[in-house]
This record gives sequence, structure tokens and C-alpha cells, in this order.
Amino acid sequence: MVDLARVQKELQECNRDVGVSGISVTLKGDSLTHLIGTIPGPLGTPYEGGSFKIDITLTDGYPFEPPKMRFATKVWHPNISSQSGAICLDILKDQWSPALTLKTALLSIQALLSAPEPDDPQDAVVAQQYLRDHQTFVGTARYWTETFAKTLGTEEKIQKLVEMGFPEAQVRSTLEATGWDENMALEKLCSG
Amino acid sequence: MENGQENHENIQTEEIPDEFQCCVCLEILYKPVVLGCGHIACFWCIFKSMNTLMESNCPICRHPYHHFPNVCRLMHFLLVKLYPIDSARREKQVAEEEKEVGYFSPQFDDYLSESCGKTDLVLDTASPHSIPSEKCGSAGEGEHSSAVFPSISSSETKEDAMSKNLNFADEHTSASSNQVLITDLLCGICKLLLYRPVVLNCGHVYCENCVINPSDKLCRCPGCQLEHPNGYPNVCLVLEHFLEEQFPKLYAERKSASVERSARQIPATRDQDEAAGCKSLPKFDLSTWLTGGGPQVHFGVGCDYCGMYPIVGERYKCKDCKEKIGFDLCEGCYKSSSKLPGRFNQQHTPEHQFDLIQPLHVRNVVLRLQPERLEEDGSIGLLEYIDEDSSVEVEPQHPEEDSSETNSPRDNLRDGQAGNISSNDTREDQGGRESANRD
Repeated sequence: MVDLARVQKELQECNRDVGVSGISVTLKGDSLTHLIGTIPGPLGTPYEGGSFKIDITLTDGYPFEPPKMRFATKVWHPNISSQSGAICLDILKDQWSPALTLKTALLSIQALLSAPEPDDPQDAVVAQQYLRDHQTFVGTARYWTETFAKTLGTEEKIQKLVEMGFPEAQVRSTLEATGWDENMALEKLCSG
Repeated sequence: MENGQENHENIQTEEIPDEFQCCVCLEILYKPVVLGCGHIACFWCIFKSMNTLMESNCPICRHPYHHFPNVCRLMHFLLVKLYPIDSARREKQVAEEEKEVGYFSPQFDDYLSESCGKTDLVLDTASPHSIPSEKCGSAGEGEHSSAVFPSISSSETKEDAMSKNLNFADEHTSASSNQVLITDLLCGICKLLLYRPVVLNCGHVYCENCVINPSDKLCRCPGCQLEHPNGYPNVCLVLEHFLEEQFPKLYAERKSASVERSARQIPATRDQDEAAGCKSLPKFDLSTWLTGGGPQVHFGVGCDYCGMYPIVGERYKCKDCKEKIGFDLCEGCYKSSSKLPGRFNQQHTPEHQFDLIQPLHVRNVVLRLQPERLEEDGSIGLLEYIDEDSSVEVEPQHPEEDSSETNSPRDNLRDGQAGNISSNDTREDQGGRESANRD
């Protein structure tokens, strides 16, 4: 059985100083075993300004087994699969210790974003690019951050679509209809 | 901390400082065990986090250890005194959990009733098994009381309020149990306030200087004679910090006194490597085990005397203990004369008979895996070990494993060690697949 009391304590603890760390953990559904972690991209890296969501699944053995963590946000990083979001990090595997928590694990992932280990890669393509063509790597990582990890405010979304040439009133109503999903709204605007 | 019990009943939970919080369950430490590195966690938390296959690592510092320490009674009763409500709450929770799984932690209620009502000096280090001379004489006690009293009243720590309760005048009359007395924190050897406390594998607490003799590489508990494995223990910093805060003046006196003493007696630097080199178990190597060489390892089975887990070498299993968890001894403890109670509250007596048990071999383990699972996992490494020999008898009962193991569904497929092994391998396989490019 997952130690639910501990998970609950962890959630409280983590969300208490979310203002300082920027790291938050929220429930995915009703169950305490499926969670979403959010980490801000570290400053001074191509991930700066992004907000990365991490899918967390707790196995029955938690906290004696590591939590299963996977990037839900697409990210360009040598130790994170660009396809599946799988993370190559020792503390999520054999180096897990029950004294670690969801928050410390997320902090470690944040640290991994600032300090890639291309010699121990998860995504070989990214790692090759990181080593051989660092400039392109930084560019791609930044582009992916801009594209997938930025959450725009409502006004920014409107602005973006208006700039594409749609009338503001229509943009606003379409966005509202699609629940502020800019991609869906764009599709609708184009087809409609 | 108030004196009256009524006040406590109004408060739902107490403010537990971080240092008294278990790093694993994040609750107040309950039946704390202290590892050789000086880090503390609850009895069950440490047990559950121990590796069933090989040496374990401290959850905090990863310091390797092979022996499950006994509960540190001194700390246990200290916490019960300081935080009676939370401790009682945890006691109830843990008792329910234990009832559910059928394994039990050591009980020492006898001690509690003793320490509450008794006016005599009760020394935590003087367990029922320690030699009688361990107990303090009344003369020594009087001496401490007078020496200690002034320092307490002038205490300037944040626990001022609590310090006011540390009134030695009514030490012998007060029935209230939530006062921390100096007599709760004495070293069993020097009979003074603990200075740089170390907790041995047997759970007994002494001053570092009292129990560690640099000329002797072996560290043995003077109370119960149990050897402390894997080098010298580290100072338990949580306990030291508490002592420093609780009895600042006396602790400072102890410090200055011991500085003088150690300058005289003990060489300035104790070689840590040398210490670590003293009496440790043969290193267990999974690969030598897989190839059939190396020492015998009894996965998921621990020694009830010294706590070695898993047992390396010969294993003796009690034939007469009825408890689900069983009662086992390692070779060394079987041959020694020490008579300690079991780690899990077994009602073992010296009259019980033992059987010598053979460890599980890799073939047996693999044969107990379900074939279809092997195929879907594609565990080639394991398949190599499935060969013609299918007639090897597997020792039928291994009741210990389940308690330590997580109840993941795949473990339920099988019982005993085979379950542990396969779950471990499955996990590794998944990891391997995910990080295909890794190696």
C-alpha cells in the first residue's frame, strides 16, 4: 500500500513554500497516486521561462520504491526522452532513498535541467547534438521551451491570434468556446 | 509543555521539531532505531527500507550497514515523555498496522510503567538484560541532582518553559511523566549526563568516550555484551543537540571536562578508516551469488540477536517459535551464549530447538518464477539460469519476507524470496528499457 498519510504530508509541505521554490504538486484526479508536478525552468538555461509539467505515478511500494516520473511537457534535453518524456536520473532508479520526497525528486529534476549529463543520455539524438553542435542544441531547447512549456495569459493568447489576422471579438468568443486552448481555437478559426 | 494532562487533551497535535520527525514516514519518531552513522528513523521505517538481498544503506547518508539495530529505548521514552499525544496516536496507528500484517515490533510497556511511578533512578541503558552493576547507585544520583539543578534554572534556551518543569525537588514525588530529567539521559558507564552520545546496535546509549576504546578495535556494549558491527558508531547528532539545548550549562561542563580528559588519554585523531576496517561482514556480491560462488546468503531473513539482515553464512531457524515472523539466528549468535529477546516480540525461550536451514539457490529462485512472466519480461539474464535441474527442493517456508516487502501485485504472484527477486529484476528490466541508450 502506498503510504497515503505520507503523500498527504508531502503535498502540504510542498505547496506551503511554492512561492520560494516554484515547485508545486497537484492531484491529477481523485487518487493520491497520480499527481502532476510543476517545475519552473532554471534561470540561465534554455529552459528559462518555461513551466514544465511532470507526470507522477506512485507505486504500491512508495516511499520504499521510487515514484515513477515522466515529463508531460515536451522538452529537448540529453537525459530526457524527446518522445516519451522518460527521465534518466539515478535517484529515480537505483539510487532512490525513502528519505527523498516528491519535492526533492522534482528539485533534482530541475537541477538536471541546468546540468545535463550527455555522457549518460536518455535521448541519443539530443545528446549527440549537445556534444557536437551545442549552438543548435541551445536553439532547439529554447524553441521547444517557447513552444511547449510557456503558458500564456488570456490576453496574450488573444493578442497572438489577433496578430494572425482574425478579428478580436471572434478570437475572444472562439477561445472561450474552446476553453482557452489556443491551438484548438486556431483550428476552429481557420476552418470556420 | 504543560504539566496538566487536561491541557494536552485540548491540543490535537503537538509541534514536533523536524529533528524528531522520521525521515521516512514524516511522522514523529516511533520506536526509533539509530543506525551506526547516527541517523534515526522508526523501527518499521528502517526495517521496510532495508535491502532484502544485500547490505542496506542509510536513507539519509547512504552509509552502508548490514545489521538492523535494536530500538533505542532511551530515545523512545524521551519522545513519549516529550510528546505524549502524538506518541500515543502513533502507537495506536502502528499497533493497528501490526495487527493487520501479523508482525509485531518489540513491546516494552513494562519499562514505561516502571519509569512513571518508580522513584528509583531508572536508566534507559539498563535494560532488563544488562548487568545489574549498570544501574546507578543512589549516591551517584544525589550527586548529579545537586550538580545539575542550578544549570537548569538558568537555562536560556527556547525550551525555557519546559526547563521550568525540570524541577528536581519534586523529582521523586511527581507522577507526571512529561518532564525530562537528567536521569533519563545518563550514560550507563560514567553515570553522568551523556556527552557526545553514541547509540550501539543493541540500542543502548553511551558517551562516545566511555564506549570507544581506541586501543581496542572492537566496540562491544558493556551492558548486553553485544558487539557493535561495522566500525565505531557515529555520535547521534539529534540526541546531542537535544542535550545541548536542554542542559546547556551541564553539557558545556561535560564538554570542557572531556576535552581535558581526552587530551590526556586518547590520541587526538581517531583514524576513521581504521575504525571502519574493524570487524565487518564479508561483502556480499550479487554476481558471485548468481554464479554460485561466494558466501551463503539467506535473502529476506534476519538474525534476531545481532540484527544481521540478510543472514550471511549459516542460518538457524527456531522450530518452536509460533510467530508468523519466525525466529532465526546467524551462525555467530547461535554459537554465542547471549540471550536477547527477538526483534519482533517473539516469545522465544532458550529451551527452543533450532534447525540449520540451507539458503535458496539461484536455480530454485528462477524456477519459481512463472514462465509467462519471464517471457514477457524478456529477462535473458535469468533465462540462462533455467536449466535442466528442476528437481531441487525449495525450502517451503519463508514467512519473514512479506513484512518487509511492498505489497506490489507482482510480489503476490509468488511467496518468499522468489517474489523479491523477480520484482527486483522486473524493475531493472523496465529501467533498462527506458534508458536503452544509457549504457
